[in-house]
Amino acid sequence: MRRFPNLVAAVAAVVLLAGCGSGAATPAPSEGGPQSAGGSGDTLVVYTNSNGEGRGDWLTAKAAEAGFKIEIVGAGGADATNKLIAEKNNPIADVAFGLNNMYFSQIKNEGALEAYQPSWAGDVDKELGDGETYWPLVKQAILLGYNSDKFSKDAAPKDWTDLWTKDAFKSRYERVTGLGTATAQLVFAGILSRYRDDSGDLGVSDEGWKQVEQYFQNGSPAVAKTDLFARIASGEVDMGQMPSSIIADREKSFKVNVETVIPSVGVPLAVEQVALVKGSKKKEQAQKFIDWFGSAETQGQFAKQFNSMPVNKGAQAQANPEVVDFFADLKQQDIDWDFVQENMGAWVEKIELEYMT
Amino acid sequence: MIRLDNIEVTFGDFTAIPQLDLHVRPGEFFTLLGPSGCGKTTALRTLAGFIQPAKGTVRVDGKDVTRLPSDKRQVGMVFQNYALFPSMSVWENIAFGLRVRKEKPTDSDRLVRDIARRVDLSDEQLSKNVAELSGGQQQRVAVARALVLRPKILLLDEPLSNLDAKLRHQLRQQLKDLQSEFGITTVYVTHDQDEALAMSDRVAVFNKGVVEQVGTPQEIYDHSATEFVCNFIGDSSALTPEFVAEVNRLSGAQLSTDASSYLRVEKASLAAPAEGGTAVGLPGTVVSRTYHGLHSRYVVRSHGADVRLLVREDGGAHPQPGTEATVYLQPGHVLQYHPASGSALRNQDEAVALP
Amino acid sequence: MTGTPVRGMVRSPFVLVVGAVLTWFIAAFLVWPNINVLIATFFPDGSFSGRAAEKLFSSQRAMKALGNSFLLAVALSVTVNLVGIFIVLMTHYFRIRGSRILFLGYASTFIYGGIVLAAGYKFIYGDKGIVTSLLVKVFPGMDAGWFSGFFAVLAVMTFATTTNHMLFVANALKGIDYQTIEAAKNLGASTWTILRRIVLPMLKPTLFAVTILSFLTGLGALSAPQVLGGRDFQTITPMILTFTNSPTSRDLAALLAVILGLATMVMLSVMSRLEKGGTYFSVSKVSSELQKQEITNPVANAAVHAVAYVLFAVYTLPVVLIILYSFADGAAIQTGQLSLGNLTLDNYVRVLTQQSGLRPFIVSVVYSALAALIAVGGLLFVARLLQKYRNWVAAAFEYLLHIPWILPSALLALGLIISYDHPNPLVGGAVLTGTTVILLIAFVTVKIPFTLRMLKASFASVNSSLEEAATIMGAKTLYVFRRILLPLVLPAAAAVTALNFNSLLDDYDTAIFLAHPLVQPLGLVIKANTDGAEGTEGIANTFVYTVLLMVITGLTMYFVYGRSRRRTGRKRLPGSPSVPGTAGQALPGAPAPGEDDAARPAAAVR
Repeated sequence: MRRFPNLVAAVAAVVLLAGCGSGAATPAPSEGGPQSAGGSGDTLVVYTNSNGEGRGDWLTAKAAEAGFKIEIVGAGGADATNKLIAEKNNPIADVAFGLNNMYFSQIKNEGALEAYQPSWAGDVDKELGDGETYWPLVKQAILLGYNSDKFSKDAAPKDWTDLWTKDAFKSRYERVTGLGTATAQLVFAGILSRYRDDSGDLGVSDEGWKQVEQYFQNGSPAVAKTDLFARIASGEVDMGQMPSSIIADREKSFKVNVETVIPSVGVPLAVEQVALVKGSKKKEQAQKFIDWFGSAETQGQFAKQFNSMPVNKGAQAQANPEVVDFFADLKQQDIDWDFVQENMGAWVEKIELEYMT
Repeated sequence: MIRLDNIEVTFGDFTAIPQLDLHVRPGEFFTLLGPSGCGKTTALRTLAGFIQPAKGTVRVDGKDVTRLPSDKRQVGMVFQNYALFPSMSVWENIAFGLRVRKEKPTDSDRLVRDIARRVDLSDEQLSKNVAELSGGQQQRVAVARALVLRPKILLLDEPLSNLDAKLRHQLRQQLKDLQSEFGITTVYVTHDQDEALAMSDRVAVFNKGVVEQVGTPQEIYDHSATEFVCNFIGDSSALTPEFVAEVNRLSGAQLSTDASSYLRVEKASLAAPAEGGTAVGLPGTVVSRTYHGLHSRYVVRSHGADVRLLVREDGGAHPQPGTEATVYLQPGHVLQYHPASGSALRNQDEAVALP
Repeated sequence: MTGTPVRGMVRSPFVLVVGAVLTWFIAAFLVWPNINVLIATFFPDGSFSGRAAEKLFSSQRAMKALGNSFLLAVALSVTVNLVGIFIVLMTHYFRIRGSRILFLGYASTFIYGGIVLAAGYKFIYGDKGIVTSLLVKVFPGMDAGWFSGFFAVLAVMTFATTTNHMLFVANALKGIDYQTIEAAKNLGASTWTILRRIVLPMLKPTLFAVTILSFLTGLGALSAPQVLGGRDFQTITPMILTFTNSPTSRDLAALLAVILGLATMVMLSVMSRLEKGGTYFSVSKVSSELQKQEITNPVANAAVHAVAYVLFAVYTLPVVLIILYSFADGAAIQTGQLSLGNLTLDNYVRVLTQQSGLRPFIVSVVYSALAALIAVGGLLFVARLLQKYRNWVAAAFEYLLHIPWILPSALLALGLIISYDHPNPLVGGAVLTGTTVILLIAFVTVKIPFTLRMLKASFASVNSSLEEAATIMGAKTLYVFRRILLPLVLPAAAAVTALNFNSLLDDYDTAIFLAHPLVQPLGLVIKANTDGAEGTEGIANTFVYTVLLMVITGLTMYFVYGRSRRRTGRKRLPGSPSVPGTAGQALPGAPAPGEDDAARPAAAVR
């Protein structure tokens, strides 16, 4: 019977601890201890899907040096998008970054973004963003990579469609088991865009849907919590989709050699963007932050630190030259993003319901 | 019929029964009586085969069953709370043992109905769930369940202890009747001396794991072998040495004044016995009187002893508390025990021999 | 007790106050937000569209996945009972050498679950697993991928979800009057017969209750099929999660969730009815404590010991490996290559020295503790009233309180956002989004159904004459509640609090939408550090967090169970309602469709 008071005491102690601990545990972002309601004070709340692998901590520290107090809220691309849309009547975030154009155009359509032209707008290719509300930061190529120890360049596939049309690759490539991730959606954007047919189902010809069907029928399903590179290392599969930024790092971790395929139509590019959230109570501060974050200097440091491909021309000098060269040679696939954005939800649904076996 | 020889029972470091010898005769209603924790239930469970003795042998009908499991000893048991299976009907409860023995269903049914009739359970009751029965009916089911297997011995573990007084009296009779009807050797455990005296052929009085006395109800009552038995059975007053000395002085008896001395309530009176004889009267003061309808209970203080006694309520005048009264008793009714060993002093020699 | 008229109910001021608070809470946080989100999904343009149903029912994959989920639910109901009953008998009924050690092994499911558990099993039985490698050496012809598909999923989930048996069936077993077992022995019944004819029938009500939970767990299976199901055995939950995240497909998610929710309700009502027919209250007023049974047949005894220890190995190996692997680097974890020389503290250093440090742990502990306490504290009153008054008003309230079981937590969270992102008179004109309160509300809400069922059962076990006695002596309702009833249900309440606490610790689905940006709980940090797309460290971090969560949940369980076990010796566990078979007595974990961790107190990283 005496257990209950103990429990209460324990909770009380924890509450007190939390009160004291918050200041001490997080010296950088919230010196003043926990704030009770709203993103009050002058802390900027930043939503991103790009806070993993130390990026969030790095950015928070760098921003503090530049005089910005920021609090990063990390969430997957889809979650962050849903959150921004759900909160549009009373936004909590001030800035969002890291989401690609598909997500941002969705958020923009819901009226949750504020137009702003950053000071560095002239240093980036406007085409990569919408030139109005969201602005490009980092380029990411969505690639088909293969185990180069097993396949020579000649023997390797030349395009995604080879995977299911040539017997040598059947069951040797990893195919996705869900379309929740941005990377997977971009792969399908790249494939389905080629078969655009306004009279077809969801703007795609029957031939296009057949490709999707073949993709799922002939691939080896991805395994939850097992990285593609781990499967390549163990010989389970030999190829699959991968965003460009991770390749070098994982080749090292899993001790495999991977080469990428550049199809003749080009490669779909995902471009991570930054935008001002409509209704921010610290608009001015948020704009200054965006100016700082997208600047050649900050993006250059970011690129150096995380091996990314900055869009800002001034930043490219600081980026890893190999990365810059890779993107310089890369042929970008011409994708009508408005068409893709308009249909992606329905495509995902159709694929999930009809093709994923 | 049943012999327990040199039994010792231990639970870890604790010795529940240091040494026990018992002999139960065929057809006898034998009671193990004692306060809680005295080892009587342990003795019964040893007999039933639920407890393995550390030493000694258990014999049933001359056969050593010490190492046999419960169901091979041909003993039936009725538990303190009857331990009826709540998930089964009355019929299934009684038939349980038969079904375990793989009796033919038709035979089982005949045997169940036969035993049910003998313990006064109707066919309608047989199909009921045991939870729907009254306490008395549950007891009959428990007895029927034990007897349907035709055991040689019936063991009853305080079956009346959880019932209210009226039902207890009623079921006491019911049990006794069932026992006489079946004529089965029965070992009964109780802490209630009334029950023990009323039902038993013979009683074994337990104290701290040891049997203090075995005898017929009359023997243990009239000739309690130890001070414990004397105190546990019946109702007696402790006498002071001064009181005993006064008895000796008045009667010329040679009771020991060093022994523990007791007098049963019914052996003292406020009126001089008609025959006179050896009775002596000691003057005292009435301390209290409690009216009980049929009789009143008195406490009279005399020579330092509070003597309790019963006076029949016959409408006559009675002394009131505070008034003088004389307590009459026969010296021969004074029960005396060795103050150290607690064993009864049987004769004057023993009394004289006391230090 | 049955059929208290409504008029009599409203005469008590206690009832009126609790009723008023409850009505407000249900209206504000259960009904209004969820009606909002359902309207937004099913009536996007103000008119109903049957699109979702049409799409779903014409999708072969959806139907197959749904079928698989139901198949798993049914199969799991059987297998969990088999294994669960066996381990309960091993630890509580038979005299087995080393049963305390066995208990610890079998109880490992108390403290971990989810995807890491599935991964743990894969380390052992997967195509490169330890056992598989051994087997392949012995039988060179065997298929290294033998451990996948329906069988593997069923096996892993069976071993992962016996927690309820260890908690509730074990407790019911202790409640059996030992004299009935002795009586059966005396009548010549064998060990097996006693078990089959006496013991198991008396456990039936509790077994029904845990069967419901196993069914729901199977229905909501997520990580085991993802890791081990392979191509042929995928379940519906991943699809629900995908569709929940896509605004254009949310109606499909809601429809699927409602289908599972309805199945849940049907199962509940069927089981409640079955239970009512077969509830055996002990006939006796006193009962003697259960004593462990010897298995007399030496062959059977040896066999049972062998099986018990094999199961012990099955239960313990994954935990040991998870702890070991949490010291290995990410690549080693994923390729399953472990060498003792490679074990370092790096993973722990990395996780614990992040800028956020221990703060998320503290935030989560505080949130979970507060939510668990509020849910239990508030529902103590409600459960008491629902248990006491049986009429249509009470029944209606009870059904409304089960709403959180029908919708996945992401939808519950969205409902709260769209209902309270503007001043709303239901909450005094306040705006709740962006405050620290809204996540607390969601946490409390999510835990309501489970807490209610447990507490109601526990009140039902209180002897009503105690309350009557106090009332006769002139005690007021509240006083009786505080001084008489509360101390009696407190052990159960403490256990429910602990289970709630554990299950909320690593919540992601709710927190992602509702957490205050400056007060972020652990789930978000775990997600950020473990998502597969974010590097090889991610998987290593998953293991570290799992081990850290094991420590916290292990401590919680120790505080609630371990200490009291020691203090009261062999007495019954505190947490569990002692009356055998009150309808739906024991339903741990909110089996929100969409969580295969539903019935596990501690759902580790998903």
